[in-house]
Amino acid sequence: MSEERYLTFALGKGRLANKTLELFEEIGITCEEMKDKNSRKLIFVNEELKLRFFLAKGPDVPTYVELGAADIGVVGKDTIVEENRNVHEVLDLGFGKCRMCVCGPESARELLKHHERIRVASKYPNMAKDYFYNKKHQTVDIIKLNGSVELGPLVELSDVIVDIVETGSTLRENGLEVLEEICPLSARMIVNPVSMQMQTERIKDLVMRVRQKLAEKQ
Amino acid sequence: MNRQLLHTPEGVRDIYGKEYAKKICIENKIHEAVKSYGYEDIQTPTFEYFDVFSKEIGTTPSKELYKFFDKEGDTLVLRPDFTPSIARCVAKYFCEEKEPIRLSYMGNTFTNTSNLQGKLKEVTQMGVELINEPSVEADAEMISLVIEALKSTGLTKFQVSIGEVEYFKGLCEEAGLDEETELDLRACISGKNYFATEELLNERQVAEPYRSIILKVADMFGSMVSLAEAKSLVKNARSQAAIERLEKLYEVLKLYGVEEYISFDLGMLSKYRYYTGVIFKAYTYGIGNAVVTGGRYNTLLNYFGKDAAAIGFVLVIDDILEALDRQKVEVKLPDEKQKLFYQADNKVDFANKLAEAKKLREQGIPVELLKEN
Repeated sequence: MSEERYLTFALGKGRLANKTLELFEEIGITCEEMKDKNSRKLIFVNEELKLRFFLAKGPDVPTYVELGAADIGVVGKDTIVEENRNVHEVLDLGFGKCRMCVCGPESARELLKHHERIRVASKYPNMAKDYFYNKKHQTVDIIKLNGSVELGPLVELSDVIVDIVETGSTLRENGLEVLEEICPLSARMIVNPVSMQMQTERIKDLVMRVRQKLAEKQ
Repeated sequence: MNRQLLHTPEGVRDIYGKEYAKKICIENKIHEAVKSYGYEDIQTPTFEYFDVFSKEIGTTPSKELYKFFDKEGDTLVLRPDFTPSIARCVAKYFCEEKEPIRLSYMGNTFTNTSNLQGKLKEVTQMGVELINEPSVEADAEMISLVIEALKSTGLTKFQVSIGEVEYFKGLCEEAGLDEETELDLRACISGKNYFATEELLNERQVAEPYRSIILKVADMFGSMVSLAEAKSLVKNARSQAAIERLEKLYEVLKLYGVEEYISFDLGMLSKYRYYTGVIFKAYTYGIGNAVVTGGRYNTLLNYFGKDAAAIGFVLVIDDILEALDRQKVEVKLPDEKQKLFYQADNKVDFANKLAEAKKLREQGIPVELLKEN
């Protein structure tokens, strides 16, 4: 009964989606419709394999998957932790590797050693809060920003920031550095719990094939 | 006029007209199914003392409970689910009873979840509890009742996954894992997070063969699961007894003729530690979470001072309605009301129509009397 249904994928817009499609192509899952850059379509279909794809803003991907609007999603670990939705995290896709870090000017390193109250700016308030409250047991004021978080310490909005670090070049150019690493991050495949039970064979097969492909590449 | 007055708070809503008729219709059908198995209705209060739903007993985190105070300063809670209340009732009113007790309930429950997630804070739950009956036949009765109830609503595409928490507990014991590792593993495995399980096993240096066995168990769900294979993986009596229980359960379910809806999931490990044996969930298309959850909880009643085996399940009516809607399953509503018009200022006509309406109503046909324009 699962064969007649579409399996729907929600992909985080941008590089993550491109990388995912590349990987899927290697295991024989293609979506020609999606390659047309001029297309204004929102949903792309592979009729043959009964697959549907759509692009969504990263933080929305876990929402689509949790509520069952998509069966499978591909999104960064940071988003999964930040959104804290009820989804199955089945696979580490290995790309999009980076780290969640506490960053700031060298002078701020001292502030992290004691339990004194400091101000932390971040796009990821939940992750920042969890790290400072539950791991470091330090009380902090968290300020949610929506971008260019590095500005925080520069204009004295905050003492430190919690943000994703890939190469660290933006940080260095602005006289900031990584003070502490919170956790490593990468792209993950997430699955809706009901889809996992109702379409087990199809999803397991897909996960197996991706897993094998990833193992070969290593 | 104050526009604010027209709104309901987020997470609660008005249900009226056809939708409510549908809801009542579905509730009645499920109720009939439950009644046909000999379950008796029970009503418990909408709010109770906080302790009834506390961390040891309840399944809802304290911050998601609606709490308030009475005049004595006691903390009260709007019920987030029924099971603790039923357990309290059983311990109180059936303390000496040794025979099986079959109870069913229906009512609204309240959880104070976060906003803007598309989730209701007030939902209607319906459930049953079977107390004083530790047998495998009781497990089977519960599961077939779930299937019967779902079928009665018109759903055809659904699936019941069954697990046994003892299997994993026994396996951890055999492997000599500490409590922390076991807890972390439960979280990873019940989240179907294969690579995190793998990572955790490496990090905690779990030795072979247990590393491979646990990884295998994490992947044991779906229609292809072989209980015989699961049994051959373990040497300890606890896990083997768990699999034997599932095998027996499957035999009884075959007698009920419901095996087509059944699959096993040995990686189903509830977050809640009160489950002590068989646990199960029912899934259907169109709704992102399980529509039915249940299991055996042979120690819960101890908290209320009664030592008795128990098994039960709960079903969320609102989720079922949504699934029916998404799957475009027609719900047959009772006959529509008839409309009878009488002429204004005509006493004779009114008397005639009234008599006619009375007759129809006696036959059970709903009639609305209206003034003719």
